[in-house]
Amino acid sequence: MAEIQFTHVSKTYGNDFKAVKDLNLKIGEGEFVVLVGPSGCGKTTALRMVAGLEEITDGEIRIGDRVVNDLAPRDRDIAMVFQNYALYPHKTVFENLAFGLRMRKVPKAEQRKRVEEIARILGLTDMLTRRPAQLSGGQRQRVAMGRAIVREPKAFLMDEPLSNLDAKLRVQMRAEIARIQQTLKVTTLYVTHDQVEAMTMGHRVAVMRDGVLQQLDTPQRLYDAPADLFVASFVGSPPMNLMEASVEQGGEGIFLRLGETTLELPGDVVAERPALRGFAGRRVAIGIRPEDVREASGWDGARLRGRILLVESLGAEQLVHIEITAHPLERTDLVDAAAQPPSPSLGVDGLERTVTLLGRFDRHLLLAPGEAVELAIDPRLLHFFDLETGVAIPKAEVPVAAEVEVAG
Amino acid sequence: MSAVTPIAPTPVAPVATRAPRRRRVRKLGWNLVGLVVLIVMVFPVYWMVATAFKPGQQVLSYTPQWVPLNPTLDNFTEAINRPHFWDSVKNSLIITTVVVALSLVLAFLAALALAKFRFYGRKAFIVLILGVQMVPLTALIIPLYILMSRVDQVNKLSGVIAMYLTFVLPFTVWTLRGFLLGVPKELEEAAMVDGTTRFGAFVRILLPLVGPGLVATSIFAFIQAWNEFIIAYVFLQSPEKQTLMVWLASFTSLRGTEWGPLMAGATLTSIPVVIFFLLVQRRIAFGLTAGAVRG
Repeated sequence: MAEIQFTHVSKTYGNDFKAVKDLNLKIGEGEFVVLVGPSGCGKTTALRMVAGLEEITDGEIRIGDRVVNDLAPRDRDIAMVFQNYALYPHKTVFENLAFGLRMRKVPKAEQRKRVEEIARILGLTDMLTRRPAQLSGGQRQRVAMGRAIVREPKAFLMDEPLSNLDAKLRVQMRAEIARIQQTLKVTTLYVTHDQVEAMTMGHRVAVMRDGVLQQLDTPQRLYDAPADLFVASFVGSPPMNLMEASVEQGGEGIFLRLGETTLELPGDVVAERPALRGFAGRRVAIGIRPEDVREASGWDGARLRGRILLVESLGAEQLVHIEITAHPLERTDLVDAAAQPPSPSLGVDGLERTVTLLGRFDRHLLLAPGEAVELAIDPRLLHFFDLETGVAIPKAEVPVAAEVEVAG
Repeated sequence: MSAVTPIAPTPVAPVATRAPRRRRVRKLGWNLVGLVVLIVMVFPVYWMVATAFKPGQQVLSYTPQWVPLNPTLDNFTEAINRPHFWDSVKNSLIITTVVVALSLVLAFLAALALAKFRFYGRKAFIVLILGVQMVPLTALIIPLYILMSRVDQVNKLSGVIAMYLTFVLPFTVWTLRGFLLGVPKELEEAAMVDGTTRFGAFVRILLPLVGPGLVATSIFAFIQAWNEFIIAYVFLQSPEKQTLMVWLASFTSLRGTEWGPLMAGATLTSIPVVIFFLLVQRRIAFGLTAGAVRG
């Protein structure tokens, strides 16, 4: 058991491509940290640098109190689970599990004892004499996990271990890995592109983009207080609704102009974000989670008028696509490319800009495409971002931007 | 050794409707083609063996004798008792064994470098390896002879071994590279994380996995080295240095060809190839890497 610490770590490939830029990250002893981000964001490179499979261009990685920059993978005492499992096809399950122990000169009897124990835990006892080719996908995944566990290493490194499983098995293994990690309390660095995996498994989640760590926080804080537009758009499924709005000062109050609707921001919202006053007369990006978009019956505040485009029934709830008049986010480079809503409907004349809002509504609400709806937006549930930088307009008592610095 | 093995048409229940019948006819057609190919390939071998057992006067009879009527071993005893038979056997065995062993080791390491490491000129090297094989051997004989005589390697087994390696290696390197590329790099990485050195990962993980490739290339090297004639004929002048193939040529003299003993000798010389093939062929289990990564 040991900490893993990245200090100003960078990785540059031969052609000047920077895969990881100045990464500072500390994974505490026994902690489960998930590195998440879209493909190509450098998360796997970061993991492979810990494993010793990728050279570190700049900076320092420590495992425990040792700097491991120049150590061979075998001297780092870590175990890795690969995306494609990488089981040794010519060896039986037993030999696969025992390989690491054999290489470390563990006595034969001890090897057998430990392998059998792990096989029992993972339900592989009947398969010890089989070869990987004779196993199902889920069983191979278990063997790959077992191969990592049996060594009792200082840390686990997992590189998208669930991405090759079908959806049902993935949910099951997700819980199983989290459970195993909880039992063994081994420091774990887990890489995935799936934000659901990240949110459900990690004690803390590190969101990366283009080689840069965007935010490191608990899943709940990541969801409730995203540090910037990218995190806001990446975390959550369906993603947060994002659009532009102008901030206007009117007497004592601060107003938000959203298309033809004007929302008054309550005093406490403004008090929470003192910086917001500075944006008066300018545009900001605002975001609202789909579950915070409500149907307006019984709401006495300002209402947004919209038209229903599509209703997707999910059983427990329904996902409603609603077209409203508002200014769409122009800085699409600041958000997650995969989370971008479909381009505005055809025939937009430039003045009447529309945004498709996703709402998560109660299943008992009767809604049909084409109908007009009135929406209630509670200003207290809004997220505010600087349009220039994409950074969240911070709340006074919990400065979100400073939180990232803590990681350093 | 024919790749096409005819399959007996499977009996089909009499209730077969029209569509399966058409399929059956087509299957029959393919089986016939396979049979023809088999006959074309097997007949020369059969004729060699049959002739070896025929007494002298039957060998060149005008009406072909499909089966030797009075089989005799005379041709074999005559062949074996020829001068330099055992010398040739010894020479051939030495040359072949060394060529197979050296080519496997060198080709594995070279293929490893080409498949797993990126270095300057790698692509050019790969193309060159393929290109070298396009040059006809006969065009190279004279320059090679001059080269080898300068380094005093003419009429020596070591010289011939070096020559054989020059045309066995390109093929074996090329083939083994293909096999190595088929092994996902995560397997080595997993082994390295599990506690092996880089070289340890090669030996413990890669080597067993390219086993089928090693077998295939060793068969190729064996056949090439065992059956080669021109180089051995040109480079090995003294009779006690010659290989079996050159020794076989001695059955053709100014007085004509002694077909009976020649065929007996040819039969004998083909036995080791067959034995070698039978020994290693069961190890050609392609698809051994199945199950390493997601299916």
